[in-house]
Amino acid sequence: MHERLSFYVKRDSFLHRLNPLTKLTLAFGLIFIAFFSPWYWAPQILFLLAIIPLSFLGKVHREYFSAAFRLILPAAGFLFLMQAFFQPIGAKAIFKFWFLDITPESLMFAFTNASRIFVMVSSFTILLLTTHPSDLMSDLTRRGLPSQFAYVIISTIQIIPQMQAKAQTIIAAQRSRGLDTQGSFLKRIGALVPLVGPLVFGSLVEVEERAIAIEARGFTSTRVKTSLREIPDTSFDKILRWFLILLIIAVIAARIWL
Amino acid sequence: MKLFDSIKKDFSTITWVLMVVAIAINVVMGEIVVLLKLPIYLDSIGTVLVAVTCGPWAGALTGALSNTIWGLLIDPNALPWWPVALFIGFVAGWCAIGGLFKSWWKVVIAGFLIALTAATVSTPIAVYIYGGITASGSSFITAYLLQTGQGVLQAVFSTNFLVEPVDKISTSLLAFAIIQGLSGRFLARFPRPENVEVDKTAGRTQVLIAIGIVIVLVLIAAFVLTKILTQ
Repeated sequence: MHERLSFYVKRDSFLHRLNPLTKLTLAFGLIFIAFFSPWYWAPQILFLLAIIPLSFLGKVHREYFSAAFRLILPAAGFLFLMQAFFQPIGAKAIFKFWFLDITPESLMFAFTNASRIFVMVSSFTILLLTTHPSDLMSDLTRRGLPSQFAYVIISTIQIIPQMQAKAQTIIAAQRSRGLDTQGSFLKRIGALVPLVGPLVFGSLVEVEERAIAIEARGFTSTRVKTSLREIPDTSFDKILRWFLILLIIAVIAARIWL
Repeated sequence: MKLFDSIKKDFSTITWVLMVVAIAINVVMGEIVVLLKLPIYLDSIGTVLVAVTCGPWAGALTGALSNTIWGLLIDPNALPWWPVALFIGFVAGWCAIGGLFKSWWKVVIAGFLIALTAATVSTPIAVYIYGGITASGSSFITAYLLQTGQGVLQAVFSTNFLVEPVDKISTSLLAFAIIQGLSGRFLARFPRPENVEVDKTAGRTQVLIAIGIVIVLVLIAAFVLTKILTQ
């Protein structure tokens, strides 16, 4: 019932076998190119020539497309509409409504922005679909990330679904006692206290126990820790990472000089 | 190295554990508020909690990690705002060291300071990443100001200035109420329990002072806003 908050799909593919850091660099590289490239069509071309092939390469295209249609497209579409209507740039309005208008310029601007956000979310989605959070964290810890960071991120991923379940229980319990969560504005503000109280105090009580538990397991020890997971880092990974870093630098240089 | 040592002292085991719970509180609070259809966010209560009990650096880290995790796992629109959350935690921590988390009316001032910081930091992000119009509902105000001929920076800043104080003052008050509900024995385990030792003044006067300060702050805010808008 208490699922981990993770998109990871266990498959055997080229993308799954890459080193987690390489995939992270890849995701950030795509985002950098989408945001800083001086060419107008860069985000759309990236989507067609990088995101879609990558999703097939990682054998996660079905999951990716379902996420893209259900979550990413609505969010990007909403942003597109907001920007198209609200941006005051451009003189010639092609559509007017109240004090809002759409101009060719605002349409272009909105389209770029929405596609950038789309590429950003897509590349992270593919990263999360093909990389287990623990793999990513243990690889980064091995490379010098303080292990406390890894602890915070991994435990948060575990704790959020538990806390969401707890919140649902509290809401149901308080409703059954007659708490009004759909009434007038003041009633809804009043409902905040009986919902927040049990949730926050309940989870804060666990803090002390957790602290003692992890301290007993050597959390503050400064010795080098061994890891259960062996994460391969091939020379192909290293070459790919350097290539991506050079690509990012080239795009930024093109942005400055073009 | 004195600064480094004092930072290190703030990051004890219990700080890291509280951080995890605080990030989860941020996320779940944000969802409860959406469920109750309230026009505020309240998604930095956990950050303020950590900042007050464990110091500004821990608060800043909680804020930044909170938005990163939220952005990666739940709502990608939260991702670009991590510097805002970082500064909320940082300023809340310094407010607490300055003694602003010891009674109700001081907490209102702390909330206002946090709101000012949040408004200032989020303005350039909204302008450079989204061109001023973000995916949140308050962009209606920005759009209106833009149509009346305001510059983008001024329009975004005025919008933030209108929206943030309500949210951040309620966030700080709720965080303070939560801390008040915790036992002294529990609070003593955190690195900075001295931040929350309560002033012993009468409750009635405190509430009156709090109301007075809110009125003064609203007046100042109105004055500053008209200044910005008439420029």
